[in-house]
Amino acid sequence: MSSTPGAPIGRRSFLRNTGIAAFAILGTGALAACTSAVNQQRGGGDNAAPVRGGTLKYGVLLDLVPANILTNTGTTPYVVGLVFESLVRYPHDKLEPQPLLAEKWTLAPDGTSITLELREDVKFHSGRAFTSKDVEFSLRTYADAKWSAQLKSTATAITGFDTTDPHKIVLTFAHPLANIFDLLDTVPILDRESIDQLGTGEKLVGTGPFRFVQRIPNSQIIFERNPHYWVPERPYLDRVELTVIPDNQAQLNALKSGQLHYADGITYRDVENLGKTDGFRTFPFEGAELQVYVGVNVQDPALSDVRLRQAIAYAIDRERIVSEVFRGAGYAVNVPWPKGSPAFDAARNSRYARDVNKAKQLLAQLPKPPKIPLTYSSTVSTYEASAQIVQANLAEVGIEVELVPTDNATFIRQLIGAQFPGLWLTDHSWAQFVPSTLTVSAYPFNARKNASRYESPAYVAAADGAWKLKQGTGSEATQAYQALSDQLLEGLFLIEIGVRFPQGAQTKKLHGFNWTKRRESVLTEAFLA
Amino acid sequence: MTAYLLRRVPSAVAVLFGASVLIFLLLRAVPGDPASTLAGPDATPESIAAIRHQLGLDRSVPAQYLSWLHGLLTGDLGRSYIIGGQIGDLIARGLTNTLVLAGSSLLLAVAVSLAVSVSAVLWEWRWLNAIVAAANTVAVAVPAFVTGVLLVLFFAIAVPILPAGGIPPDGFAAHPDITVQYLLLPSVCLALPVSAALTRFLTEALRTELGKPYVLTARSLGISHREIVTRGALRNALPTMLTVLGIQSGSLLGGAVLVEATFAWPGIGQLIEQGINRRDYPVVQALLLFSVAVFVAIQLTTDIVHAYLDPRIRIGGTA
Repeated sequence: MSSTPGAPIGRRSFLRNTGIAAFAILGTGALAACTSAVNQQRGGGDNAAPVRGGTLKYGVLLDLVPANILTNTGTTPYVVGLVFESLVRYPHDKLEPQPLLAEKWTLAPDGTSITLELREDVKFHSGRAFTSKDVEFSLRTYADAKWSAQLKSTATAITGFDTTDPHKIVLTFAHPLANIFDLLDTVPILDRESIDQLGTGEKLVGTGPFRFVQRIPNSQIIFERNPHYWVPERPYLDRVELTVIPDNQAQLNALKSGQLHYADGITYRDVENLGKTDGFRTFPFEGAELQVYVGVNVQDPALSDVRLRQAIAYAIDRERIVSEVFRGAGYAVNVPWPKGSPAFDAARNSRYARDVNKAKQLLAQLPKPPKIPLTYSSTVSTYEASAQIVQANLAEVGIEVELVPTDNATFIRQLIGAQFPGLWLTDHSWAQFVPSTLTVSAYPFNARKNASRYESPAYVAAADGAWKLKQGTGSEATQAYQALSDQLLEGLFLIEIGVRFPQGAQTKKLHGFNWTKRRESVLTEAFLA
Repeated sequence: MTAYLLRRVPSAVAVLFGASVLIFLLLRAVPGDPASTLAGPDATPESIAAIRHQLGLDRSVPAQYLSWLHGLLTGDLGRSYIIGGQIGDLIARGLTNTLVLAGSSLLLAVAVSLAVSVSAVLWEWRWLNAIVAAANTVAVAVPAFVTGVLLVLFFAIAVPILPAGGIPPDGFAAHPDITVQYLLLPSVCLALPVSAALTRFLTEALRTELGKPYVLTARSLGISHREIVTRGALRNALPTMLTVLGIQSGSLLGGAVLVEATFAWPGIGQLIEQGINRRDYPVVQALLLFSVAVFVAIQLTTDIVHAYLDPRIRIGGTA
C-alpha cells in the first residue's frame, strides 16, 4: 500500500508496524541472549553438603591498596585472608591462640621469650618450603615503618631471632609482651623472594588456601585454589573473584540479582531488610568489632577543662546511635572494650550513662563554651548520621556544635597530625584483642603521642603496665586493665559511643564463610551449593 | 603553511607546559596527601615520614616536578602511588571502558531518535506526539542515577534478565552476546537524555523541512509522504543534527561518570574519582594533563585546518 503525502496512515497499519518492530527488537534481544549473563552468574541449585569446585563472586567497596597490605584497612583483610596465613589464630570469642603455621609454642616463665615449633609440611605458592627464616623475615618486615603496620611497636620489641632449626624459632623480647599472641595472630607470613612485587600489587605469594592470579586495578582481583595447600582436600572452591563495586546501592543490586555471592559494603539498613528476605543470609562479624567514638582535642581552650568533656559524655545518647544508625548491630559503651574482652566491665560502662541533668549541672560551673567544630569523614554515611545525633544531644544541654564534613584524605591527615580544632567522630579497632594492644598500637590511644594531644604520666604508666605483663589474660592482667580503663574514663580524651559489628551479606548458596578478628576472609571451608 | 605551523606549535607547547606546572602545584595545594592516606588512621608520624621518603615526597617540589616532567618527556607516566600498576595501563583500560560505554550509548541514542522522530513526522497523530513529548520531557528531567536505579530494580532484580552492573568478565570481545547484555542497562541509562534531546531537535528540523517549497513540489508530483520524509527531509535535516550530536557527545562523557558509579563500570570517571579521593598524585596529574592535551590537540587541528582552507589566516591577515 502506498500512502499519499499528508494522508494519515491507518491505526491498524500503525499497530501492525509497531508490533513487527517490537517483535524484531525482542527477537534480537532473545538472539543476543542465547547465553544468559544472568544465568551464567547464578549457577545451579541449593544443597548444604560440601561440594568441590565453583567460583565465589565477592563484592568489595574499595580496591586493594597494595602498599597497605600490612595494615588492616579497606580491602586488605579480604586479600590477606585468602593468600596469607599467620602463625596462630584466635577464635572469634576468646584470646586463646590456636595452632596455624605454628603447631606448638612455649612462653618463657619470665615472659621475655617464646619458642615456636613450625609445621613442616607448608610451602609457599611458589613451591618454596616455609621455614623459621620466613618467620624472622616477616616479623622484621612488619616492624619496618614504611609498611605502617598497626602492631609495629610490639614487633619492634622483638630483639632476638634464633632460626638455627628451620622448623623452630625462638623470639626474644626487650620486655615481657602481654600482647605477643596478638602479633603472632596478625603478622602474615611473607615470601622474601617476592617482597618488592608485593608492595606494587604484582605478586602476592603466601602459604594460604588461595593463590593470587591477576589484579585489574579498580576492577577485579582473581584467585585460584592452592592445589598444594597443607590442609588435605581444602579449599573446596576453585576460584575466588573479588569485584570492586564502589557504590553501596550497586553492590546491593549485584547481590540481589545473583551477580555476587557475598557483598561487604551494604548499608546497615539494607542489611536489616536483606536479612528478612528469602534467599539471603546476613551476619555480624562477631569478634571483629569496631568502636565509634568522639575524639577531643584536649588542648582546645574550652575542651581542656575535663568538666566540659564529662558534660559531652553525659549528653550523648549512645543507645539512639546504636539503634538508629547501626540498626541495633552493636551496643553502647563508655570504655572501648567489647564484651569478649578481658577488660570488659559493665560497671565502668555505665559511668557516663546518658544524664542530661548532670551534663547541665557541669556546664553551669563553666563559662558558656564557644561553638565547637565536630569533624567527620564524609565518605562514610554512618559517621554523618552519628555526628548529627551528637550535635542534637549536645544542643539539648546547651553546647553548640558545628558539623564539619571532611573528605577522607584530609580527615586522616588531620587525625595523624593531631590537627582537629575541637571534636571529631570516627571508628577505631583493635579493642577486641589483648587490651594493651589498643593503647600501644592505635594512634588515637597511644599514651605517648596521640591525636588528642593528651599527656598524662598516669596513663602512660597504666598503658605500659598492661603491655609489659607476662600474660594478656588472668587476674593480674584484669587488674591492669581496670587501671587502664579508669585512666581512659578520667582523662576522657576519647569519648566512646558504642561497639558496632561490621555486617556481611551473602546468598544462601554460600556456606562455610568465616573470618578472623581483623575481618580477614577465611574461605578454607567455604563452598557453593 | 610551515611558517604558520612554526608560529602555532610553540604556543600549544607553552599551554601544555603552563598546564603541567599549574596541575602539579594545584594538587599539592589540596589538603591531605598520599602518604597519610597510605598510612591509615592508626599510623604514627614516623610511618608517614617513611612512606613520604619511599614515594619521594620528601624531595623539594621543583625536584619532584622535574622528575615528573622527565618521565612525561620520555613516555614514562610512572606508577600509581595508591591504586597500583602503571599509569599508562590504568588510563588505557579506563578509557577503553568509558569509550565502549559512551559509544554504545551514542549509537543507541542516534538509533532511537531517528526511529522516533521519523515515526512522529510520518504519522502525525496527536496522541503519538503527546507520548513522544512526554517521554522526552521525562528522559531529560530524570537524572541518570535515578533512571539507572530504576532500570536495575526492574531488569536485574524484579525481572532478572540482565546483569545489575560490571563489565563482561572475559572482556568485551570474548562473547559478544554477553557483552551486549552487560552494556544494555548502562547504555540505555546514559542514552536516554541524549536521545530525547536529539529527538526533539530532529523532529522540529523535519517539520521545518516539510514546510519548504520543495516538499510542496514533491507532493504535487505525487511522491508519497514516506518518501518525502525519509529521502528528502531527513537527508536535509541530518547535517544540522550532527552539530547537536557533537554537543551531546560531550555531555555523554560527563554523564558517564555518574552512570559508571551506578553500574560499577570501571571507566575513566571511576579512576579520576579514586585518584582524587586518595590523593594519588601521579594518576590525577596524568589524567588532567591528558585532558588538557586533548583540548590543545583539537584546537590546534581546527586552527591548522582553518588555516589550510583560508590563506588569509596562515599569512597573518584578518579572516
